[in-house]
Amino acid sequence: MSTSRVFVLVVTAALAVCAPVPPVSAQPRTLVVGSSATYPPFAYETPTKQIVGFDVDIITAVAKKSGLAVRLVNTPFTGVFASLNNGDIDIIISGVTINDRRRQSYDFTAPYFEARQLMAVPAASTVKTLQDLAGKKVAVVTGSTADDVASRAFGKTSANIRRFDTTPLIIAELVAYGVDAAIGDNGVIAYRVQEQKGLKTVADPSFPKEYFGIVVKQGNTALKGALNAGLAGIISDGTYARLYRQWFKAEPPVLPKP
Amino acid sequence: MGEAIRVSALTKRFGALQVLRGISCVIHDSEVVCVIGPSGSGKSTLLRCMNGLEEATTGQVTVHGVPVHDPTTDLDRLRTEIGMVFQRFNLFPHKTVLDNITLAPGAIRGLTPTEARDRADALLTKVGVLDKREAYPNQLSGGQQQRVAIARALAMQPRIMLFDEPTSSLDPEMVGEVLAVMQTLADEGMTMVVVTHEMGFARRVAHRVLFLDEGQLVEEGAPGDLFERPREARTQQFLSKVL
Amino acid sequence: MEPVLWFGWFRADIIAEYAELFWRGLRTTIGVTLICIVQGSLLGLFVGMARLADARHAPARQLCRVLLRWPATVYVSFFRGTPLFVQILLMHFAVLPLLINPVDGLVMAGDAARDLKQDYGALVSGVLALTLNAGAYISEIFRAGIQSIDRGQSEAARSLGLSFPRTMYHVVLPQAFRRMLPPLGNNAIALLKDSSLISAIGLSELAYAARTVAGAYSRYWEPYLTISAMYWMLTLGLAYVVCRLEVRYGRGDTR
Repeated sequence: MSTSRVFVLVVTAALAVCAPVPPVSAQPRTLVVGSSATYPPFAYETPTKQIVGFDVDIITAVAKKSGLAVRLVNTPFTGVFASLNNGDIDIIISGVTINDRRRQSYDFTAPYFEARQLMAVPAASTVKTLQDLAGKKVAVVTGSTADDVASRAFGKTSANIRRFDTTPLIIAELVAYGVDAAIGDNGVIAYRVQEQKGLKTVADPSFPKEYFGIVVKQGNTALKGALNAGLAGIISDGTYARLYRQWFKAEPPVLPKP
Repeated sequence: MGEAIRVSALTKRFGALQVLRGISCVIHDSEVVCVIGPSGSGKSTLLRCMNGLEEATTGQVTVHGVPVHDPTTDLDRLRTEIGMVFQRFNLFPHKTVLDNITLAPGAIRGLTPTEARDRADALLTKVGVLDKREAYPNQLSGGQQQRVAIARALAMQPRIMLFDEPTSSLDPEMVGEVLAVMQTLADEGMTMVVVTHEMGFARRVAHRVLFLDEGQLVEEGAPGDLFERPREARTQQFLSKVL
Repeated sequence: MEPVLWFGWFRADIIAEYAELFWRGLRTTIGVTLICIVQGSLLGLFVGMARLADARHAPARQLCRVLLRWPATVYVSFFRGTPLFVQILLMHFAVLPLLINPVDGLVMAGDAARDLKQDYGALVSGVLALTLNAGAYISEIFRAGIQSIDRGQSEAARSLGLSFPRTMYHVVLPQAFRRMLPPLGNNAIALLKDSSLISAIGLSELAYAARTVAGAYSRYWEPYLTISAMYWMLTLGLAYVVCRLEVRYGRGDTR
């Protein structure tokens, strides 16, 4: 080998040795986002098998703002938290309501959507409030906020609460006269009811305001911080308002800060 | 003597295989007829046509004037007049010897349990297996099982008894006890059709012997005549091999 | 409730909180399983025999083929060929609303229909789907069991003058039954576990209880371990019963 070649080799080797070795965790890795794509308008599948929705647009915008790469995976809601815990997914955005019980086991970002519970009932129903449903049969999605609300009102082991896996199923049960009302998040219930004939929505004024948050594994403060920064960013630069208007045809409310 | 069974131009085909090629014969009341012939000659098929276990392709079989293969015939009723004994005994393994025998009389003839048991005991005594009445078939020897099978068939008090190679599955030392029972039946005047290879029995007990070969009734006659002076060449050929 | 930790991590208190749901679920699971085993076996017996139906002469022969064998074959093929989960959803959300509907139910209508649907809708759908499904598999067990009995047995019975129904009842089925006990036992145990799928239409049985707890707390070990243990106990119980039946009917066996 010629002297000049050896010299180039040695310099390259030295530079390689001296270059800072980045820690493995800082490698830009595509983060996996779990979402239950059976929840229009938040996340659902188009006929061409694409996953679209408000949640999808939000996480895409937030990730872009924070410089994160994300990939969406359709995960059934009943397994989504387990997947988060065992590392199959890094982020959940799936219309998940922030509540104390969930906060015991998981970390939430700042809210990205204000939600209320809404009741779907037959058009001829005289139900005005949740208490009007006492003694009647009610369908909810297992583990949802509506499940929580109904359980608190009627007893968590009440035989009048019928739990199903997805919102379409609780609407189907209502349509089939199996229950007197179906309760769920306002965005989704309103969407489903306007699809069906013979149903209407009823908002109980006592239903508290609740918020959807993006979920990360408990203790993952780095990711939580990045997502919060991204969220604050898209709110301040108007992206959030644009998306909200696009999906809900209304002006976005002011969201509480973390 | 009345006619017990009349077979008229009976043919039987199983798919492409022609087993019976036009058999005609008459069995009379109280007659003992032995059917002999090489394997595959259709002897068992002929017997099974007589009680309707096989359908006729063409031709007719009548039992005491009743056509066996006619759709309007009550075959179950007709079969109560005809008893059948099989080569493999076909005892009901999940029932005791006694229950094997009392099942049909109790269910069909309407005998009370006591009456059925008494009849069964009498028959068991007759065939010499009374001490085994509470045993299960798998606890009996082959000879005992076949004798029970004969008792079971006799319990319905049939007018005709059909035997399909009754001793072919037995060890040689047990053949005698079964043949002895059959001889007793013959002596009592039972109408019997016996498909068998036991030439000695045929010679001693049969009134008539039918020789079948390749689905045809080649020759028939009194045992003395057929065994000593067979007319047909095929009969001679067969007898020379077995006697 | 105060968190009660077993082995340092198992939160037994969340199970205790929903104890009534688990207890109700246990009763429902046992009830559904027993009903479906009995109904499925009866259905399986008739369908199994229908598959073997034959007659000596036309037109009975053709009638047997068209009215008995063919529908039986189609039924078995469909219910073995489609997932039970799909059958349950179909039954509850498509078939039953057609039959039991306050507005235009074919079988039941009006207020009676509404009450039935609300109180027992999921139970009816679930039991119906599970029975039809089990019947298809069990019919194959019966068919194979009946066919495995030596032809000589039925020939001997018929030769005595016993009718076909009597031959079946006294001679063939008792023998076939003993042979069918092991696969029937298997089916019963499978049915017990399959009943968990009915939780998807909101029937309050064991799996439903676990789903509810998991949904409320987003914790999976506690509820699912609990019902696993309960299903296991039930399975052991069933297996024991089958074992005793096999011993009892083993008398007179030819081995």
